[in-house]
Amino acid sequence: MKADKKADMKDKGILARRDLFRAAGLGVGALGAVAITAGAGAEPAQAAAPEGTSQGYRETDHVRTVYELSRF
Amino acid sequence: MSSTGEQHPSALPPEEEQRAQVYALLARLLAQPPGADLLAALASMQGDASPFGQAVSRLAEAARATDARAVEEEFLVLFIGVGGGVLSPYASYYLTGFLHEKPLAELRDHMSRLGIARADDVKEPEDHVAALAEMMAGLITGAFGDPADLGEQRRFFDRHVASWAGRFFADLEAAPSASFYQAVGTLGRRFLEVEVQAFDMAA
Repeated sequence: MKADKKADMKDKGILARRDLFRAAGLGVGALGAVAITAGAGAEPAQAAAPEGTSQGYRETDHVRTVYELSRF
Repeated sequence: MSSTGEQHPSALPPEEEQRAQVYALLARLLAQPPGADLLAALASMQGDASPFGQAVSRLAEAARATDARAVEEEFLVLFIGVGGGVLSPYASYYLTGFLHEKPLAELRDHMSRLGIARADDVKEPEDHVAALAEMMAGLITGAFGDPADLGEQRRFFDRHVASWAGRFFADLEAAPSASFYQAVGTLGRRFLEVEVQAFDMAA
């Protein structure tokens, strides 16, 4: 019972958080076609680009450096 | 970005994915000026009526009004300059007035506990705003192992980001030499406001 209640509260927290981000302009697609891939182990930036657009972000030397920054 | 989210391999909720994207974008723009491809993608963004959405629209407008060469020039004046740029985007500088002070040591300590390290060929101190934004993105997506829970994200955010980055973004917004980057400053400042609010709610 206690675990149920806890899970319920957690769900409510997640929903409230989702609502807040949506209301704050951070819903899905908030950045349109802009897709930046950062972080070690991330997929190539092209994979994150939306279908049907040619504006996928291309990896630059710097982004590679930032990957490096995140590598552990 | 797919509106269904089905193309994303991660199980991250869409709004968390979106946060990571904003951090990654800020990291990208503050580490190096955007090239023509990224500027074109930025120019196509359309925000909603919220303060953050308006900042997105403003950044799109700024991207349309400039080009890669002009943005590079802005970036050089702001962050590189002859003998130093207009702004010093480092936590240590904002918190103590000097580079390489205690805030950087504390960050390094925190990073080592989280298993994050700077690559050998990176010379920028870790408390550069772009590095911190990228670390936030990585904590959210799990680039450093398992995604960090909100409590862990918040500890990192409060200590190393919220303590100064809002002031940095406000300075960027007001930098007389900037135009495109003023819009980046607004986006960053308003995004941090949402982040603070969301972390407070989760507490």
